[in-house]
Amino acid sequence: MLKRFLSERPLRLPHIRPYVPRPSDPSIFWFNSERDDIVSDVVSRICAEHESDQARLEMALNDAAFHEIRRLEKQRDEEARDRLGYWRSMIRRIGKMDATEQRRVLHTIVTNMARDVAGNFDPRVYRFARRVIPRLIGGVMEPRRLTHDLVASSHEALGRVLRVQGDLDHLQYLQSRGSLVFVPTHSSNLDSIVLAQALEISGLPPVIYGAGKNLFTNPIISFFMHNLGAYRVDRRIRVSLYKHVLKLYSQVMIERGYHSLFFPGGTRSRSGMIERHLKLGLLGSAVEAFTTNQVRRIDRPVWFVPTTINYALVLEAETLIRDWLTEEGQARYIIEDDEFSQIDRWIAFFRKVVGMRGACIIRFGEPIDPFGNTVDRGGQSLTPTGRVIDPGGYVEHRGKPVADGARDAAYTRELGEVLASRYERDTVLMSTQVVAHVLFRHLVQSTPGMDLFGRLRLRGEISLDCESLRRELGEARDRLSALGARGRMHISMVVKEDSPNELLERALSFWDGYHASTAASREGDRVILGDPSLLLYYQNRLVPFAEEIASEDQLRAACEIRKLGAHR
Amino acid sequence: MSLRVGVVGAGGFGRALALASARNGQDVVLWSREERELPHPIRLSTDLASMRDRELIFVAVPARHAAPMAEQLGEVVDGRHLMVHISRGLIGDDLQTLTKVIRDKTVCRRIGALAGPLVADALAEGRPSGAILGTGFPELTGMVREAIGGAGLRIYDTRDVVGVELASATVGFLTVILGYAQEQGAEPGTLAVVATRGMVEMSRVGRTLGADESTFMGLAGLGDLIAAVAGDERPELRLGRALARGSNLQTAIGEIGAYVEGFEVAKHLLEHARRNELETPISSTFVAVSEGRMGPDDAIQALMERRVGTE
Repeated sequence: MLKRFLSERPLRLPHIRPYVPRPSDPSIFWFNSERDDIVSDVVSRICAEHESDQARLEMALNDAAFHEIRRLEKQRDEEARDRLGYWRSMIRRIGKMDATEQRRVLHTIVTNMARDVAGNFDPRVYRFARRVIPRLIGGVMEPRRLTHDLVASSHEALGRVLRVQGDLDHLQYLQSRGSLVFVPTHSSNLDSIVLAQALEISGLPPVIYGAGKNLFTNPIISFFMHNLGAYRVDRRIRVSLYKHVLKLYSQVMIERGYHSLFFPGGTRSRSGMIERHLKLGLLGSAVEAFTTNQVRRIDRPVWFVPTTINYALVLEAETLIRDWLTEEGQARYIIEDDEFSQIDRWIAFFRKVVGMRGACIIRFGEPIDPFGNTVDRGGQSLTPTGRVIDPGGYVEHRGKPVADGARDAAYTRELGEVLASRYERDTVLMSTQVVAHVLFRHLVQSTPGMDLFGRLRLRGEISLDCESLRRELGEARDRLSALGARGRMHISMVVKEDSPNELLERALSFWDGYHASTAASREGDRVILGDPSLLLYYQNRLVPFAEEIASEDQLRAACEIRKLGAHR
Repeated sequence: MSLRVGVVGAGGFGRALALASARNGQDVVLWSREERELPHPIRLSTDLASMRDRELIFVAVPARHAAPMAEQLGEVVDGRHLMVHISRGLIGDDLQTLTKVIRDKTVCRRIGALAGPLVADALAEGRPSGAILGTGFPELTGMVREAIGGAGLRIYDTRDVVGVELASATVGFLTVILGYAQEQGAEPGTLAVVATRGMVEMSRVGRTLGADESTFMGLAGLGDLIAAVAGDERPELRLGRALARGSNLQTAIGEIGAYVEGFEVAKHLLEHARRNELETPISSTFVAVSEGRMGPDDAIQALMERRVGTE
């Protein structure tokens, strides 16, 4: 009951007088004054699309009723008791309604959906969050420094954990000229929190983002999510109209100049691999926002910022890889019982990363326009040789900008491919990933002909002497550095500067005692491969580079590892 | 309002595309390195900048010239241009398709690959034929149909762009094998098995490169191969026959006096197949024969003795 109350009526602070944004405030400060207009814009566009097509209208209503009945019958909760009757009655009446009645029902359904999705932004909560959250994160990680952190700069506390890379000056300029759409890789439910902090310490504006409705069931997270501009995404709802509302809401926000964030991978990377197959729905909404503004002759550019979030230790690693390894897992979209929902795991996680230089690196890649072209410091789109072009030309047909859904869908597919290649290029390889790769490759090499699941059962049975391991680590690091110099990806400063022995000790220390099972541990002068599943998870980040960093005798094992990525 | 069509390349296909467009009433400029005579109303230009005001550009140059040409075009075109290439080749060890090269070297995004049993003479004269356009952009299909389609040419489309390009490149190589087999006196049944199973093994390779296997069985693959065997006298057939008469590869290429892209492409495709542990018995055996590592009789015996399975 409380969960439903919180997810449907999130807490807001009372207003004595409405906040009047200043010209220097980020665009999101205007959100509350525009929210009703945005909802109404979304509703009217969807209703207009169904206005002249009776068959489509009837299909939309039937689809909504069918999927909602199915969902609510399965849920059998309080919401089901409230709403099931409405949908059952509606599905019986659809065929008997005249067109006017059907349009009225559509309007009601879409309005309810849009209101449910739309977020809220409270500048007071924002200011509180930007002052306190970084200090709390720092404090949780190092309790003895909490007193110091509460009076010190919030950036100082956070800076111990989080490193930000990228051309921040460029992004700071662009945010004042158009809509930025941050499109990060997705490894953990911590990502949106960490990214929000990275934006804050980089002097970049807050963004709107979609958050799973399940996150709103935690009262504290719900309060912050709801009051910091997050819009709610209920992944249980399969209704086509609902997906349409979500996309259009995102589109309208971007059209109006709100900076956005969404994870094109759709869900956390279960395997730990760099995402290749991206979900195109929200990406498409940003492309269409650009087109719509062009058709309306509104000069408001849209730029995408490919972003990689790189952790040396992933909070939910065990659950994610377990999920990937089971067929059921691949179909499971929302995990509600993972480490993210266990506060003791949070504390253990934060304590573990304390003092570990660069435990998380956020890398903002080069911004691109909706057509994958790089953008200069003045926000102009460039050809590969640096000639300035007008991105508006991409949506012209015979000299005029026109709306064309099929064309924009094709642009979106191409943009997805560009982002996937940027993710690879902007990945920063961390110590645990490099060490896990060398160990996992040794496992593959030691077990010729064995399948993946056979290898994963070899817990604690394979080991490698430290001297060989250090040598292989050194060689792998040198080859990775060479690839990095050619722009294939990046390696963290730690990987670059540590000796192979320090690298090994660092990775073992990250793993020691955090996960329920240990990925690898040292026994005398040997390193024992403890949980191959965890090694697999961490090493999966290196799958695209496996063959390029292998020596002649490691090539066969590396080839097997590369094939793991064939269906990612 | 007529379409402003540009054609880059004045070889057989370039001229045919220009003629087909002009016949459909389009405003056509053909770019050529050299001055040459062209039938009215096609205008000739030796300056690539003449492509700047074109809406649709056909790139009709051999694959080996495609990358430098795309680089030059990159200085002229922008996001407004729609572009289609008609090459049967792939580029480099990493089997880059021409659409990828164009995408990398220019800012054009609305790109397509035109393939299938298109023959330059038939296209130029408007004799009935068909083709397939691989593109993700329906508006490009519409524009290409408007430019060169009509009663004489049915243009189908598919979103499987890489499939069209790989199938088309594969046809070049399989045609060499069929030319070889014809000269060796192979029966029609033998030719059919080589063509069909050869295409199947190449489609398996194509799948690992992101292609849809069914595209190989359509106009871009088998359809084009049927046209080759039915006698449109492609250089690849002549190359295969020359090899069968005992010439080595270099001599045979010299004899036919034309550049054949299929052979180089096949070597890269087979290397890719080897790395991915894919079986390509027909193609691999033929490469061994053409390089003198195996005699024709041994090759046939080796192929016939293979375990036969379910299709």
